[in-house]
Amino acid sequence: MIPAIDRDRCTGCGNCHEVCPPGAILIKDEIAQIEEEFCEECGFCAPTCPAGAITINFPTLYNKNT
Amino acid sequence: MMQERYPHIFSKGKIGSLITKNRVKYAATETNFPYGDGYVSDREVAYMEAQARGGAGIVTTQGTYPDPKGEGKGFKGMMAIYDDRFIPGLARIANVIRKNGALSCIQILHCGREGGVELDYCLMPTVVPQRLSYFKKPREITKEEIKQAIRDHVQAARRAVEAGFDMIELSGIVGYLISTFISSYTNKRTDEYGGSIRERCRLMVEVIQGVKAQVGDKTPVGIRLCGAEFLDDRGGNTFEESIESFKIAEKAGADYLSVTIGWHESSIPVITRDVPMGHWLYVAGEVKKAVNVPVMMAFRQFLPHIPEKAISDGIIDFWEACRPMIADPELPNKIASGREEEIIPCIACNLCFSRLYYHQPITCSVRPSLGHEGEPDWGYYGFKKVGQPKKIVVVGGGPSGLQFASIAAKRGHKVKIFEKNNVMGGEILLASKVDSGEEELLRPIRYLEGECVRLGVIIKKGITASPEIFMEENPDVIVMAAGAKPRILPGISQEMIWTYRDIIGKGKMPPRKSVIIGGCGIGLAVAVYLLRHERYELTIIEEGSRLGKDVNPFYLWRFIQILKKNKATIFTGSTIVDLKDGVLMVKAPKGEQEIDFEGIIFTQRDEVIADFNTLKGYPRGFYFIGDAKKPRRLNNAIHDGYRLGMVV
Repeated sequence: MIPAIDRDRCTGCGNCHEVCPPGAILIKDEIAQIEEEFCEECGFCAPTCPAGAITINFPTLYNKNT
Repeated sequence: MMQERYPHIFSKGKIGSLITKNRVKYAATETNFPYGDGYVSDREVAYMEAQARGGAGIVTTQGTYPDPKGEGKGFKGMMAIYDDRFIPGLARIANVIRKNGALSCIQILHCGREGGVELDYCLMPTVVPQRLSYFKKPREITKEEIKQAIRDHVQAARRAVEAGFDMIELSGIVGYLISTFISSYTNKRTDEYGGSIRERCRLMVEVIQGVKAQVGDKTPVGIRLCGAEFLDDRGGNTFEESIESFKIAEKAGADYLSVTIGWHESSIPVITRDVPMGHWLYVAGEVKKAVNVPVMMAFRQFLPHIPEKAISDGIIDFWEACRPMIADPELPNKIASGREEEIIPCIACNLCFSRLYYHQPITCSVRPSLGHEGEPDWGYYGFKKVGQPKKIVVVGGGPSGLQFASIAAKRGHKVKIFEKNNVMGGEILLASKVDSGEEELLRPIRYLEGECVRLGVIIKKGITASPEIFMEENPDVIVMAAGAKPRILPGISQEMIWTYRDIIGKGKMPPRKSVIIGGCGIGLAVAVYLLRHERYELTIIEEGSRLGKDVNPFYLWRFIQILKKNKATIFTGSTIVDLKDGVLMVKAPKGEQEIDFEGIIFTQRDEVIADFNTLKGYPRGFYFIGDAKKPRRLNNAIHDGYRLGMVV
């Protein structure tokens, strides 16, 4: 469950970049980007986003891929 | 057979009317593996199967929430039992446990003040301000809702029996609904559900009695309760009241009692490495003296001789294992067959725990295959041998190199490790010296080194890998696991510079008045190490807005406590503007500031990828893992090694 970043909502404030333990989030052109190779899927970033742009989608039985 | 060495652990036990094959119980742990809608996922079934095959006498499921509104749901991926439509999924778990020779136990868990994960409120006996950020806004539970909660538990118990479970466990610990009623910290009610300890236990008694009446004598019903809350600073239960709650539970009909320690708000460490193993057994001993039903306990009993002695001394009847069995479900089998050195050792890093609160599936620092037991590629039940074994040279015998080597060797490759030191372990050798209890971090290194030896990996100690060695060995693949290098900023004369390696590794102590550059894990470790030894005037400079972003919260709060007690000056959100001998200019959020110092300690690290540009084109394969790829933590090193080992 790698967090998804909503590019339209992201303000590039950098909160997620700061809390990311493995340093997997970069701010490029004022938008956060997750380097999937380093993402640990810890989820720390999602609650820090003031714009609610980071979501972690929990799968459900009838929609396994979301 | 080692069963003889641990006769008590491997003796038969009795709970209610049931006989268990040994005294090991895999205790309930949330995983966040099930789907977000409460249904059981294949991943969860595969995980429970691994636990059942591991040899425990009793295997407990994670908590299932019993109410349709989700007030009892405390984790996004928690299993549900509020409707009959969940029975088939739960039955899969019961079947898979029974088929593998263990007794199945299902936990029914209403999370109370930790619940309402998808709602905007949580239920409490009385509204007491919440301090931890992941709690929802509390609302007082009405009497009708209490009655409904009891009915929910009873119906859940009926479904549990229909799904085929042998035992039922209720949970009243750490701030879940039943515990909030029992504790005087959270229960200030004036009706019959509040008051003295007897009245505060009324909800628990009614739930136990209701469930017992529903399921009858064939299905034992146990309960987990808190033996010592350590909430004295907030008006929590006294030790006597906690023991009394166990007696009341026994009288209400509980068939076994599981003793736990502490709430999430407790002001002392409970399950971290600084707590010696077996430390909490005295609490279980007090409970055992007060009751006649079987008593069990988990909590920092990672090595089998501890529960063995406790059972023989009559302190507990069953050994509950959570984290040690997350790290290695095969724990009971390996102990029984005398393969203790093959156990993947839990290091109490609590990565599993902290991830739950960020609504992610649990992962394990020392066992990357956690959550992938059902996927053959991950090799939990063994790897398929590769068709064409490769000759692989690994540079560096730290956690990533050792983990990689063991997995690659399991798949049939010919692996050789070059370690420049005379001992394996890399930076873990430093980490193990930081504080008391940290030597436990060496356990995975010893395990991995043992794995490599058992699998025929050739280990060359005291040899620094060089281009000549690569030429001579002529391997198919080179894996660079040599770690990171300290980042040393220019502008200061050599005699003022210290690195974390000088201090923790070589024991060179810096001057009293020193500045630590970097406030992440290593910076804090150096600070704690120094402050434990002598008095220091430390200043910590961190670019990020908070200290220790890569440190687990379970450990971080204690580190910060030590820093505050010793009056360390902390600059967060601060960048270095100018650095000269003895003077440092930082740009802090409050403006620029000048700091004078006698010594400067560098704790940041850089990856070494750029240093090996010449080898990048190594024709047949050249990889970086662990800190060499990007400086991170122990779990990243082990996971890097494991994942590369799977595919190389």
